[in-house]
Amino acid sequence: MKTEDRFDLPQGTLDLLIMRVVALGPIHGYAIAQRIQQMSREALQVQQGSLYPALHRLEYKKLLRASWQASDTGREAKFYELTARGQDHLKAETENWKRLIDVVGLILKGTAEGIS
Amino acid sequence: MSWLGRLFARKRMEMELDKELRFHFEAQVADKVRGGVPESEARRLTRIEFGGIDQIKEDCRESRGTMGIESTVQDVRYGLRQLRRSPGFALLAIVSLALGIGANTAIFSLLNAILLRPLPVQSPGELLLFGDGRAVGSTEAVPDGSWRLFSDAFFQDFRQKDRTFSGVAAVDSTDFAVKASVAGAAYQTTHVNLVSGSYFSVLGVPAFLGRTIEESDDSTPGSGPVAVASYSWFQRHFDGNPSALGKVIRIESHDYTLVGVANPGFSGVTVGQPADLFVPLSMEKAFSRPGWNGIGDKFFQSLYLIGRLRPGVTAAQASAETNLLFRQIMRSYLGPQPSQKHLADLAHASVELTPGGRGVSPLRYAFSLPLKILMTIVALVLLIACANIANMLLARGVARSREIGMRMALGASRRRIVVQLLTESAVLALLGAAAGVALAWKAGAMLLHMTTPGPDSAPLNVSPDLRVLGFTLGVTVLTAILFGTLPALRTADRAFTPALKDGRGSSPVRGTLARSLIVGQVALSTLLLIVAGLFVHSLIHLADVDTGFDEHNALVFTLDSSTANLPHGPGEMRSVSLQEQIEERVRAIPGVQSDSFAFVVFHDGGWSDQVLFQGIPRTPANGEDVSFNITGNGFFSAMGIPLIAGRTFNSEDRQNSPKVAVINQTMARRFFPSSSPIGRRFGIGETPDHPGDIEVIGVVKDVRYFTLNEGPMMEAYFPSTQNPGFFSNFVVRYAPNANPQEIISPVRHAIAAINPNILVDSVTSLEEQVDRTLARQSLIAQLSTFFAVLAVLLACIGIYGLLSYSVARRTSELGIRLALGAPLSRLLWTVLRESLILLVLGLAIGLPVALTSTRILKSLLYELSPLDPISFAIAIGAIVVMTLAAAWFPAHRATRIGPSQALRAE
Repeated sequence: MKTEDRFDLPQGTLDLLIMRVVALGPIHGYAIAQRIQQMSREALQVQQGSLYPALHRLEYKKLLRASWQASDTGREAKFYELTARGQDHLKAETENWKRLIDVVGLILKGTAEGIS
Repeated sequence: MSWLGRLFARKRMEMELDKELRFHFEAQVADKVRGGVPESEARRLTRIEFGGIDQIKEDCRESRGTMGIESTVQDVRYGLRQLRRSPGFALLAIVSLALGIGANTAIFSLLNAILLRPLPVQSPGELLLFGDGRAVGSTEAVPDGSWRLFSDAFFQDFRQKDRTFSGVAAVDSTDFAVKASVAGAAYQTTHVNLVSGSYFSVLGVPAFLGRTIEESDDSTPGSGPVAVASYSWFQRHFDGNPSALGKVIRIESHDYTLVGVANPGFSGVTVGQPADLFVPLSMEKAFSRPGWNGIGDKFFQSLYLIGRLRPGVTAAQASAETNLLFRQIMRSYLGPQPSQKHLADLAHASVELTPGGRGVSPLRYAFSLPLKILMTIVALVLLIACANIANMLLARGVARSREIGMRMALGASRRRIVVQLLTESAVLALLGAAAGVALAWKAGAMLLHMTTPGPDSAPLNVSPDLRVLGFTLGVTVLTAILFGTLPALRTADRAFTPALKDGRGSSPVRGTLARSLIVGQVALSTLLLIVAGLFVHSLIHLADVDTGFDEHNALVFTLDSSTANLPHGPGEMRSVSLQEQIEERVRAIPGVQSDSFAFVVFHDGGWSDQVLFQGIPRTPANGEDVSFNITGNGFFSAMGIPLIAGRTFNSEDRQNSPKVAVINQTMARRFFPSSSPIGRRFGIGETPDHPGDIEVIGVVKDVRYFTLNEGPMMEAYFPSTQNPGFFSNFVVRYAPNANPQEIISPVRHAIAAINPNILVDSVTSLEEQVDRTLARQSLIAQLSTFFAVLAVLLACIGIYGLLSYSVARRTSELGIRLALGAPLSRLLWTVLRESLILLVLGLAIGLPVALTSTRILKSLLYELSPLDPISFAIAIGAIVVMTLAAAWFPAHRATRIGPSQALRAE
């Protein structure tokens, strides 16, 4: 029944991905999910059950703001965009993320060499 | 946006959330259709991919701050709807909670008013009372043991030398109930406190209007003819008009100028005895009573002392210094050559400093233990009510497992369900508490009236204050948790099992938990019934006590002579002849048999001292205090006290004739175990060298003097001609066939005819006067009985409910057995057996608890063992009968199940 993710997202990563996608310009929830799927080359499939609570959480924390606009199909949809605070947050979190993967990569590489 | 604003924006947000998710859904469907899937199939697939849409919504709501308050409001609404749907359950639950919480609130407000509430003074925690405040009046004895009353001289000397208190206040222990006339208006009973100049400043009570009493008012005797009013007296007499200041108040032929009004709420340090007016101690002579030496005497000890600790000084340091100074100062009063006995007494004397922030109260000592016991009783009643409601909730949980299973399937988390069920319990508890507080409001005044019966109950504010409301809120929350938690957890767990699959919710009978609750209820009810039985039995014993006098056909008039300006002083015979004139005139009224004035009738306080007969050695038994009374000649016949030997007073006993006394049997026996006391002489006091000038002329039967439950005491009576004074008690005995109502008004007229300024304060029957002293015992007996009956009723409702439920569940089984010809008696037994097991288990727990715990009540029981078999037997009998009665109806119903009914049941 439930479509499995190709792999599990570490805690907090989804927020970062959403903000990255939203940073490209105002966008609604469905498109965010699609975009993440595309950008990950189909490796990531975001469930509605995780997406919308995350969007609402980010909006509540004032990292995103939302407005109702007409979509491509003409129906009204809720479009999200980054606030100034959201931009700062995204920048800082992206730096953090990069540092983290460098460090983790360094350690994992070392271990791999040690094993081999 | 505030959370409140968000709350109101809730509807809009819900709509938007719905719209947003629908857009996603439609977009996903549209994508699939574009990819070539037929629309109906696309919709089906999307729905599957979406999963529980309500779950997503819930998670979205939760990720916003509104979640808590929003869902609470939702839960409260839902809970109220659920209650409205089953009004029977709701009513029963709310009524039992109202009774339980109401009883707790009512008893706690009384407990709060009498035991807990601090005085409305500045930093009450810093105040220390000298002694424990358990004495009222005056004493001239040399201190020995723990000392409670102090002389003015000691107060002044102590104040000068002490370094541990920042100030010491003094107030006379007596509440002077006098007649006062404000600016020439009619005389009214007014309660006066005599206070030191330091009183208001040490307590930190400011003036609401004008000024308080100051040191200059209290410097030399007679220097301060001023009065400060309590705020409530000021409101009553002047309706808050500030022009009251400067008005003249006349009290017992002295004039006082009203100089101020004390801060609202403050009415002295004696709880339950509020003062109307405060007058400086310097005016004490004007309030003097016959036989008083007054504050000029170093050993006239009548004051309570209250000190305020200096900052940084501990209570222990203050206690050490106080005791040191106390002995030093008292030693200096004994003169250069004190007797060995006085020195020995003083060596044993000490002052215990007790917390003074809650004031002193005679009610406190009488009611401390009873109130604590009642508090325990009502707490147990509430516990029983909780058990009942828990049981009802368990049953409802079974009935609702379909509904709850449905909600869980729709995506509600287990936590959410439990919180929702608990909210329902809280709603129930709050409704019960609201009704309970309303009940307690009404009951508070009634309870107070029961503690102090008579025309006026103790002026004590028992209306719930913040502390009481806080207590009630705490109890309510605790109650909701107690009766709500287990059923909520059970219900949520049950719904986890596939409840949806089976329509009738035939999960295992709510077994052990429900049954243990019933067993607990039976055990507690048994305990409460036994306690009530003990109190009632003790009260019966007390009411049967032989007072020694004849309570029937006698009236007691209380007279007030303070406006009559009677002269008093040693040898002053005018008030004696006034009393004799009244006695003579009243005796002439048809129906009156005899009458007499008396210093004490019964339970009026008293006067006591040691006596010594010439030539009789002191023994421990005859060294006890003798209680004295001063009476007219007709006292013994008016009270119906039988004469055993010799004679009573007659017209030959005049002021200048030899001094005489009538003594009681106990006194005769202790001094003359084997000979007649008639004609022997004694003197009052402890020194062996007194003249021994009082001759015993008669012996009468023992009577109760202070209380009904006192042991044998030595008593002596003196004629009023030889101890002049005006006494306020006037006893009138009428013929058994006379109507007392037809006696009262001629007696009033007779008194008014002799002296119109002598006022009749109250008229009661002697019987009533005796009954009033049983106030405390009858309060406990009545309330404990009421609560025990309530507890048993609640337990019966619980048993009835449980059995009805189990019979209903077994309808088909019982019906089929009946149809197959099972005897009725066996079916009856099947059902009754269940309740019998619960009963036996309940008794098996309740009885041992009762056997080990009723000891606590010993001091409240009169001539009754706390293991009194009669009380135990009646309690057990009552609980057995009530339990079986409660079980009978459902059992009987089981035997009436028709076969068709049984078949329809599945």
